[in-house]
Amino acid sequence: MIVFENVTKAYPVDKKNRVIALQEVNLEIPHGAFLVITGRSGSGKTTLLNLAAGLTRPTAGRVLFEDVDWRSLPDHRQSLLRNHKIGFVFQFPSLLPSLTALENVALPRIFDQGRARQGAYERARGLLRSLALGDKLGAYPRQLSVGQQQRLVIARALLNEPEILLADEPTSDLDEQTESEIMELFRQLHANTGITIVLVTHSTQLIRYGTHSIKMADGRVLPCSLLEK
Amino acid sequence: MSLIRLALRNIAGNTFRSFVVLLCALLISGMALTTGMILFGADNSLRLAMDRLGADIIVVPEGAADRVESALLMGRPTQSWMPASVVDRVAAAMDVQAVSPQLYLATLSNASCCTVSDMFLIAYDPRTDFVVTPWLEKTIGGVLRLGEVIGGADVFVPAGEEGIKLYGYHVALKAKMEPTGTGLDRSLFLTIETAQEMARVSRIKAEKPLEIPQNSVSAVMVKVRPGCNPRAVALNILVHISGVTPILSPDMFQSQRKELTALRNGVVMALIITLVFSVLLIGLVFSMAANERRRELGVLRALGATRSFVFQVLLSEAGLLAMYGGVAGAALTILAVVLFRKLIIATLGIPFLVPALPMLAALILGGLACSLLTVMLAAMLPAYRISHEDPSIAMRE
Repeated sequence: MIVFENVTKAYPVDKKNRVIALQEVNLEIPHGAFLVITGRSGSGKTTLLNLAAGLTRPTAGRVLFEDVDWRSLPDHRQSLLRNHKIGFVFQFPSLLPSLTALENVALPRIFDQGRARQGAYERARGLLRSLALGDKLGAYPRQLSVGQQQRLVIARALLNEPEILLADEPTSDLDEQTESEIMELFRQLHANTGITIVLVTHSTQLIRYGTHSIKMADGRVLPCSLLEK
Repeated sequence: MSLIRLALRNIAGNTFRSFVVLLCALLISGMALTTGMILFGADNSLRLAMDRLGADIIVVPEGAADRVESALLMGRPTQSWMPASVVDRVAAAMDVQAVSPQLYLATLSNASCCTVSDMFLIAYDPRTDFVVTPWLEKTIGGVLRLGEVIGGADVFVPAGEEGIKLYGYHVALKAKMEPTGTGLDRSLFLTIETAQEMARVSRIKAEKPLEIPQNSVSAVMVKVRPGCNPRAVALNILVHISGVTPILSPDMFQSQRKELTALRNGVVMALIITLVFSVLLIGLVFSMAANERRRELGVLRALGATRSFVFQVLLSEAGLLAMYGGVAGAALTILAVVLFRKLIIATLGIPFLVPALPMLAALILGGLACSLLTVMLAAMLPAYRISHEDPSIAMRE
């Protein structure tokens, strides 16, 4: 479970000014939920996601991941936690252009020194096959379509069998057809594995795929917007 | 996939940065190695040349010191004469243990009667010699007979011929000496008897006869008694024997040593400037590249990479580029020095010998270390800054 307790996040713009991205947010994301967060650009959705993963520190308040405050953990423990328990799907192209599809998917395994790396390629192959990318193992990201690249990113996010998947506008660059394919993939994933998914989108159309949804505006979660369908 | 493999892929994926860093590393390693090779090689050459002369003091005609040094060092032949009576007078000087005369001769320029043009010939007296004879006894177990010569490392008998023709007189090359990198490598040693026979034959067979003035010598090699101060002996000779200049062995090649010092200062300064500019350039290129890759590095952090991992990847990339560039720089430098050694010697006016393998290996390692340290130093700050950045900000850019 991820808990936000009175979390505020401000980013410095210059030496004097700062912009408040998140204001006094209180939120509990339950285990096994498929939470869809909607809101306009600049509403604080991505900041919320980054805070959930401990990628940035709150300016005030605290974020608990499985009852542990991210701030209480040293960098290597935070990294290990992200590596083992969190999968990321980004809005922007996040694949390493110099690595093949297979190497990109297996990449998260190299960050964990204590874990065997031999199985990484085996699992990556399996994931790519299950996402209909079995014939693209040796392809470089530039050789794949946008939809294929996004499926590759999902495969990478699932490599370490995470407990939670954080997806930041995963369909924003996709056409309607591919968008529904990717969203269906998330739904199946959630239904089959029970993984917690937090998906951020500006499209209210996608709320239907989740089990829960919230709406954000001006860095706040709108009152009573955590809905369980 | 390992950290190094990831670094290698990143190197391949960023050609501009890789090329600039590689080029800087190549320049640094090449310059460091060139500096080391020329300075150590020149020092070694001067030392070997002095050892080869094997005397504590060389007495030459007054005013001929520079020409004799130039002949011995650069192989530019010279002829200077003083009365043979100088030999006995020097022998009689206080604390002199042994003396031996030498005649300095040269072959003709572009003459059909001489196999080699302008070759420096050193004729010695085997009865008194303490320089060439011990070496001959050690290497060929005998002495030079009439018509036999020994040569420096670069002397050879032309293909299809049995000997070397000097003033129409054929001599047999009995042995070759170890290289010194100096003019001695292109010189011939022969006995005075052979020189006189050559002069006799030259009157019939040479385009121009070899003239050896009667009762004259070019130099007197002097060995002082053990425990005596050679400087005091040289001063004594200078004061008591007119028309000669005694050159102390440690004072030999002073003008070349001055040139070497000037060269050393110049190349060390050039090396320092290169290092400073390289650090700045590599630092700038790494900063630019790291800034371009902020999002990518932020993604690595999101996927579970620690700050230290990101730092290590960036430094590994720098280190690998430094090693590649350094090895390429060392290889190119060695190739250039070996191929163009004579041109370098002619340009710099200072002889040098390519250092022996252990010294060369040490210099190569020094060059690589120089290039590695410079590149790592330049990459350290951008790598630290980017690895410690908030990943959420890095990914937003």
